[in-house]
Amino acid sequence: MTATVRVSELAERLGAPAGGGAALGRRDRTLPVAAELADLLPEGGLVRGRIAGCSGPAAWSLAFALVAHASQAGAWVVVVGAPAAGFEAAAELGVPLERLVVVDVEGGPSVWAERVAAAADGFEIVLTAAPAGAERVARRVRQRLQSNGVVLVAVDPSSPSVACDLDLATADVEWLGIGQGWGRLMARRVGVTVAGRRMPRPVRRSLLLPGPDGRVALAERVDRAPDADDGDGGAGTVIALDRAG
Amino acid sequence: MRTPPRLVTVWCPDWPMLAARVPPQRPAAIFHANRVVACTPAARAAGVRHGDRRRSAQSTCPEIEVLEPDPDRDGREFEAIVRLVAELAPKLEVVEPGWLSLAARGPARYFGGDQAVADRIVAAVGAWAAARGVPVGQALRGSADRYALGVGVADGRSGSAIAARLASSRDGGTLVVEPGGTPGLVAPLTIGWLRELGEADADLVDLLGRLGVRTLGTLAALDRGDVLARFGPVGAHAHRVASGLDDRPPSATDPPPEWWVEHPFDEPVESLDTVVFVAKRLADDLVSRLAADGRVCVRLVVIVETEHGERSERAWYRDHGLSAPAMVERARWQLEGWASQPGGLSGGVALVRFVPDEVRPDDGVQARLWGGRSQADHDAARAVVRLTGLAGEQAVRVPAWQGGRLPGERYRLVPAVLVDLERADERLERGDGPWPGAVPTPSPAVVPREPVVVEVVDADGAPVRVTGRGEISAAPAVLVTGSKRQRIVAWAGPWPVEQRWWSAEQSRRIARFQVVTERGVAHLVGVERQQWSILATYA
Repeated sequence: MTATVRVSELAERLGAPAGGGAALGRRDRTLPVAAELADLLPEGGLVRGRIAGCSGPAAWSLAFALVAHASQAGAWVVVVGAPAAGFEAAAELGVPLERLVVVDVEGGPSVWAERVAAAADGFEIVLTAAPAGAERVARRVRQRLQSNGVVLVAVDPSSPSVACDLDLATADVEWLGIGQGWGRLMARRVGVTVAGRRMPRPVRRSLLLPGPDGRVALAERVDRAPDADDGDGGAGTVIALDRAG
Repeated sequence: MRTPPRLVTVWCPDWPMLAARVPPQRPAAIFHANRVVACTPAARAAGVRHGDRRRSAQSTCPEIEVLEPDPDRDGREFEAIVRLVAELAPKLEVVEPGWLSLAARGPARYFGGDQAVADRIVAAVGAWAAARGVPVGQALRGSADRYALGVGVADGRSGSAIAARLASSRDGGTLVVEPGGTPGLVAPLTIGWLRELGEADADLVDLLGRLGVRTLGTLAALDRGDVLARFGPVGAHAHRVASGLDDRPPSATDPPPEWWVEHPFDEPVESLDTVVFVAKRLADDLVSRLAADGRVCVRLVVIVETEHGERSERAWYRDHGLSAPAMVERARWQLEGWASQPGGLSGGVALVRFVPDEVRPDDGVQARLWGGRSQADHDAARAVVRLTGLAGEQAVRVPAWQGGRLPGERYRLVPAVLVDLERADERLERGDGPWPGAVPTPSPAVVPREPVVVEVVDADGAPVRVTGRGEISAAPAVLVTGSKRQRIVAWAGPWPVEQRWWSAEQSRRIARFQVVTERGVAHLVGVERQQWSILATYA
């Protein structure tokens, strides 16, 4: 289904750089993201040294989906100060768990800043739920991110407690496959709005996160079956994906 | 061709149970990656075998008790056996807790023959184990009151390892194979022994089986060059083992002395964590120096000295080569074992030294099959060490699969410095087969470490109740979290799950639901004894 992912996985296993060229070369300015997310981002990928914020009801899924591609291509992901992050969901969204490390933060913003800064010395992607008051200590973190070319993704359902270069907000969530006493959660339609200092105006896109195969998918071309009330409740028929290319 | 050295192997298949002092009559097992790795004689008598899946072991032996693996305890406790055997023959090497080997020549000459050495070891270990309440030796027919112990003497490492395994089910617990007799011992054994000995992985064994190579003798009869051409170095190694030739060819040259790495402490340290942390740096250093030269260390001598001049020296052997985490793990076992012995170490540690006693060309068996170690892997490994130094090993962890029906129990976190980050498949391997009764995918992206207590009420405001038969009193209508009330717009369930039904004290019955609130947030909620909680959130 997602041919690009398959190829990158294969290439990664064979030890060859994915996506042609020196993927994840230290010189590259951006880390690659899945095609479904690339045109939402002004630079087509995650810019090294910058902070992206994920918020709203699908914040964590979006964060995992955002870093999955780079991680598949060889980047390591460290989850700092987010004890509830779900690894199985991360794996389903495409983050290889063999390159994921979890760091606890027991303490306030200064401990958080210290751990993130240390993590930025060796990991290319930091996922974190920044504690309240993080902005006061964020300077040191920013410097370290920039000097090491590390991407930080601040995840917070309300709004990240650090100022972000790019804000990715999730809203208008609709779950597919479940009704009043029938079915199960299968896929979720999410409106993602991306805004940032370097963007003249916000970009909005409707995504399936996760889509029926567990990964992120575009939602524009989803044909909805008639509402489940008059259907037979066959949840599997609610989603018919038609993706070009 | 070189004659392999004559070795004595001591093998205790259920060592973790002995280390945990589980009485043999109690049915219990330890699982790793959902497979039985050790069990008591009682469990064995009920039909449980190593390698069984958890569910099949539980259906074979419903009263079986599931114990947590604890490799550190296994390593620490094994020090007692190492000391016992070292009194008979000081030059020994530990392969893993429960498995050690030593050169046969010296002690055989001293005690009057291989058989005499084997008998002495069995007697010494037997006395120790009996005093501990976990007797070893041959059980009386039909009873399950003793753990297995085997001592085998044969040419070559794998020859003597096989002899020890065969010995564990023989009277007296010993098997001495005549010099030159290893090929004859090995030939009739099934090809599955390669896996049993850790000499080949399941895929190779499976493939050989499908090609009609069903015994080690058949494999040995094939031309060595053909096997190498078809299966690469892994196959060539299997061929050597099957031929009773055993070892990889040793390195042409001994490691030069400057490859020793050591760390003298200015101030003696008493904290184990600090010593382990230093050991990690030494190991990384040593492994990367060897790797730059295309070699791996298969036999490592770890030397620790205290400020009072006490000294602990142990040789550790691993056929595939010791990775940096494997070295650290062994140093840790040695230290903990030493510290726990009466008359062990009496002061702070003043020196740690790693000596690569035997190195071999890295034939790729140890490395990942695909690709190699990238710069990113290297940087991440270093960052893990630094973060661990900063935050402690319990704060820097990696996920390991353990399986389960509730989101919170499917992965556990293990300290990252204690695992081999490059060989993640060991910890992430999900075993085979799905978990019936697990919540279907997609999985929740937020799994709180402790469930959040909530209320779920129906349209009239009455708590929703679930009967033992999985019937609900009314449709869930509102989710109450603290003072917040949210309308439930969609829901599915109940999906009942019985946890640990085999144990009266630990058994739990939980009915799970998926609920979607008016704001589009979906939760996995559970109700147990009429108490609702949020188990996870699809965030």
